Amino acid sequence: MFRLNLKIALRNLWKNKVYTAINIGGLAIALSAFILVAIYVRFETSFDHNVPNHENIYLLGRTLPDRKTNYTSLSLAQALKEAIPEIENVGRSKKTNFEFAFSTPDGRVYGKDVITIDYTLAKMFHIKPEGGLVKPEGEALNVYLPQEFITAMFPKKTPVFPAKVSIGPLEVKQYADVSGIVNHNVAHSNLVFDALLITADVGKNQEPTAYNYFTYIQVKPGTDMAQLQKKVAAVYKEELKKSAVTAVVNRGSVESKIANEVNLVTNTNKADQSGVFLDPLDNLHLRPIAGNNTNYKVVMALSALTVLVMVIACINFTNLTIAQTNKRAKEVGVKKVLGAYRLSLVFQFLIEILMQCLVALILAIILAEISLPLFNDAFSVSFSLWKDNYELVWQLPIVLLIITLISGIYPALILSGFRPVAVLKGNLQTSYKTLWLRNALLVTQFTVAIVFMAGLLIVSSQLKYMRTEDTGFKAGQVVYIKNIVMFGRPYFENLKARILEMPGVNSFTVASDIPDGSRPGRVDYAMEGKDLGMDIVHVDFDYFETLRLNLKDGRFFSKTYPADAENGIVLNEAAVAAYGVKNPVGKIIRGCDMDYRIVGVVKDAKMQGFETAVEPTVYAIKSDCANDKMKFMVNVDPDHMAGVLAALKSNWKDLNKMDGDDFRYEFMDELYGRLFKKQEQLQAVFYGAAILTIFIATLGLFAFSAFTITSRMKEISIRKVLGASDFNILSLLNSFFIRIVLIANLIGWPIAYIAAQRWLETFAYRIDLPILPFFIAGSISIILTLLTVSFQARNAVKTNPVDALKYE
Amino acid sequence: MIILKNIEKYYANKGVKSYILRHVSTEIKQGEFVSIMGPSGAGKSTLLNILGMLEEPTYGEYEFMGEDVLSLNERKRIELYRNHIGFVFQAYHLIDEMTVAENIEAPLLYKKVSGAERKSRVADVLDRFNMVAKKDLFPNQLSGGQQQLVGIARALVAQPSIILADEPTGNLQSAQALQIMDLFKKLNEEEGITIIQVTHSEVNAAYGSRILHLLDGVIKEDIAVEQSV
Ligand SMILES: Nc1ncnc2c1ncn2[C@@H]1O[C@H](COP(=O)(O)OP(=O)(O)O)[C@@H](O)[C@H]1O
Ligand SMILES: [Mg+2]
Repeated sequence: MFRLNLKIALRNLWKNKVYTAINIGGLAIALSAFILVAIYVRFETSFDHNVPNHENIYLLGRTLPDRKTNYTSLSLAQALKEAIPEIENVGRSKKTNFEFAFSTPDGRVYGKDVITIDYTLAKMFHIKPEGGLVKPEGEALNVYLPQEFITAMFPKKTPVFPAKVSIGPLEVKQYADVSGIVNHNVAHSNLVFDALLITADVGKNQEPTAYNYFTYIQVKPGTDMAQLQKKVAAVYKEELKKSAVTAVVNRGSVESKIANEVNLVTNTNKADQSGVFLDPLDNLHLRPIAGNNTNYKVVMALSALTVLVMVIACINFTNLTIAQTNKRAKEVGVKKVLGAYRLSLVFQFLIEILMQCLVALILAIILAEISLPLFNDAFSVSFSLWKDNYELVWQLPIVLLIITLISGIYPALILSGFRPVAVLKGNLQTSYKTLWLRNALLVTQFTVAIVFMAGLLIVSSQLKYMRTEDTGFKAGQVVYIKNIVMFGRPYFENLKARILEMPGVNSFTVASDIPDGSRPGRVDYAMEGKDLGMDIVHVDFDYFETLRLNLKDGRFFSKTYPADAENGIVLNEAAVAAYGVKNPVGKIIRGCDMDYRIVGVVKDAKMQGFETAVEPTVYAIKSDCANDKMKFMVNVDPDHMAGVLAALKSNWKDLNKMDGDDFRYEFMDELYGRLFKKQEQLQAVFYGAAILTIFIATLGLFAFSAFTITSRMKEISIRKVLGASDFNILSLLNSFFIRIVLIANLIGWPIAYIAAQRWLETFAYRIDLPILPFFIAGSISIILTLLTVSFQARNAVKTNPVDALKYE
Repeated sequence: MIILKNIEKYYANKGVKSYILRHVSTEIKQGEFVSIMGPSGAGKSTLLNILGMLEEPTYGEYEFMGEDVLSLNERKRIELYRNHIGFVFQAYHLIDEMTVAENIEAPLLYKKVSGAERKSRVADVLDRFNMVAKKDLFPNQLSGGQQQLVGIARALVAQPSIILADEPTGNLQSAQALQIMDLFKKLNEEEGITIIQVTHSEVNAAYGSRILHLLDGVIKEDIAVEQSV
């Protein structure tokens, strides 16, 4: 029985090979998208899942009046551990905010993410250096480096640990012992580092109230988190009271930059308003409380999208299978009078669809394998289908069953439900019963395709706007030079003079912040009775000229006015607007315990990208509260760019003696351009989705229109005999499908409109929602329909009516 | 074998009942060869479909081999199809995707006949119908008469007690038609299979033992055929 049914199925599929191919092909494409997204989603949702107690680990954070942050004080961890028994373990990590050179005579590497962590944190995260984790003795700092670093420094052979390397510039002659190799999958962990320093107590010899530590806690399984939250908040309040007394604004060290900034806020009357929260480790990657949840949105959007694409492909299946039912009706009728149970017929049709889905799945795996490099490129990941994705082995068969059921159950029920008498009498009219459904499914397919087409066009317009719109500054000729030397006037002026000598260098400056999307520090400034928080950028002469910012009023800093270096300040338009003063130039503004004189107003510049409005910002050459100015920027003529970079590289050790041995730089426009990265990813997603959905919907239309036309052959022939022209016939056949697509447009437009509107609202600077994309999407859908249907109809138009009527 | 009592069938269309069968009562015994005749639209097919349990009468009683058909559940009815009833259709209704042999084998699959026995029975039937050479052809490679032979072979292979045939020769030329009728007669006489056929042809009807004349849903005449042969 099974074998015979199998044979019938194969013969049927072979007879309708074009439609079978379309069915299977469409599904395979959708399934391959599913596989890729499944891998991506699994990766994104399983950060740190190899840490045994990951679900019990929390990162502490603080709520401040104007932002949330994970920086916590040193002392909090110990206080929590002592006060709350549910807390099994605490551990802290501390970032180093500059690049760290590790070198041997044979090679040099730069640690960009050097972190120091408590031994307890290493245990919490199950960090396993080669040779095992050992507790550091006393105040020892155990340095662990990744394999690449070791290979770079010891190219000939792996050294015996502890191995001596020099740290920082070679001349400084500072050495450290590397304790071993640590291979931590930082690409899949929230604990990101390239060099890891493990010590018994991170807080040893550190300012106890400095807020620059990440505090992790591990709670006992089954802890009531609401209760714990309350207890933690109580301990936090106690700690705050203590620290308010002993607060010291700790300056001069690079590490305490953040501490300075946050302390200022904490020490004002706003301190009482701060709170504490616990953020589960499991959420940290996708939707941290202090941070953005773009990753989460991307994961959700991609998942929703794939499900949609899958549904569309399943719809094709359903639709084509229903369309074929008339062909299979006789088989059903005959089998029933021969004594077949309905259930066995349902089963037979489901098996048939399962077979097709299975072929689609195999094709999908091949397709996914082929398109993986493209996907990796778009999402800056490096996935492989077979590594780490064992889940697919059981997930794919489940998906196979689900899609079989979704696409097959309805046709199977319809087919098996035929009453033999209707079939065998030969007056089967069932197609009309299912017609509305088929049309609805077709409408759905095109609606989705239209939404993605319009969406793609709108996303692209916004991106184009972001690339071409005036940002208020010009990053094109600016090179950002990394530097670890603290600002000192004579040292800097000497360096600046030597760099300006190079042909092609227009200007050179130093600042605390560069336009790479990061937020500067925030300090309160008072003017005319208003006390407001302002972003403070610590700059030097030629800052505005280097970035080509535009003057609104007054003047920029100038060496002609020596006082500028003492108390000069420049406000941006947003700051002026915040204070609401009319003619700010020449007025006095007070902040950080001193009076500044406003020398000019700069036009707003979108240094943080397009998503947030330009913050009220002040620029000062002297500021004790701001972050240190250490970031060099040089403006170079494009023609001389290569020469200047080469000169800087070869002379760097001499130019900036205290920085180290290597000239490290990035192009400012590339840094700024990275802010658009996630929008570009979104564009890539829409691009893929639009193509996929259009393609699959058109495939569906292609097959479906073929069926409709074949079944109307007799009608067409009669009309021709009655005198209809080819054009009459073509428009007759097209008009039905055009109507379907028009309805899809009418449904799709508002959906796309609302979604696009909501997306655009996430930008402070955005385009007006254009109308054109809707018309383009509409036109494309209609043109595709006309082409597809006419292609199918050409046979119908050409045939001799006699052929179709002969057999009646 | 079959007892019909007061069978009525009508379709209600916009409140107007159009009767197709009225007060049909009759009895058909095991081994009879009955022909139903009448003009087009008289209700012949409807009556045959009711006999074959493909349609239900609006009123009336129908007893098949001692069982009240109208109260049978689906499963029981399917059992009757499997074991007692063979259908032959005017349009043959062979399954296009199956070969001749597969078409003939199909009913045996539902009867859960073992593989070996299926093979031998199909071979038997093919042999008897002189179609061994054609067993691997598909229906569209056969002539109409040959297709109808396959249709009858399919009905016979399950060894039914009754064959219901709706204009089995309606699409055939008269020579082929006579061949089919000879076959029916032989089956009826030699194997005792009850046969009920719908036919327009007096000649075909003459092969049977009894003729029911239907006119506007009413049995006008019920006559025994004089066996001339
Ligand atoms: N589903 C139906 N609805 C309404 N009338 C029907 C239906 N099926 C059959 N009929 C009518 O019943 C009558 C008898 O049909 P049928 O039994 O096929 O006649 P015959 O086989 O004698 O030519 C015809 O007039 C036909 O129009
Ligand atoms: Mg009839």
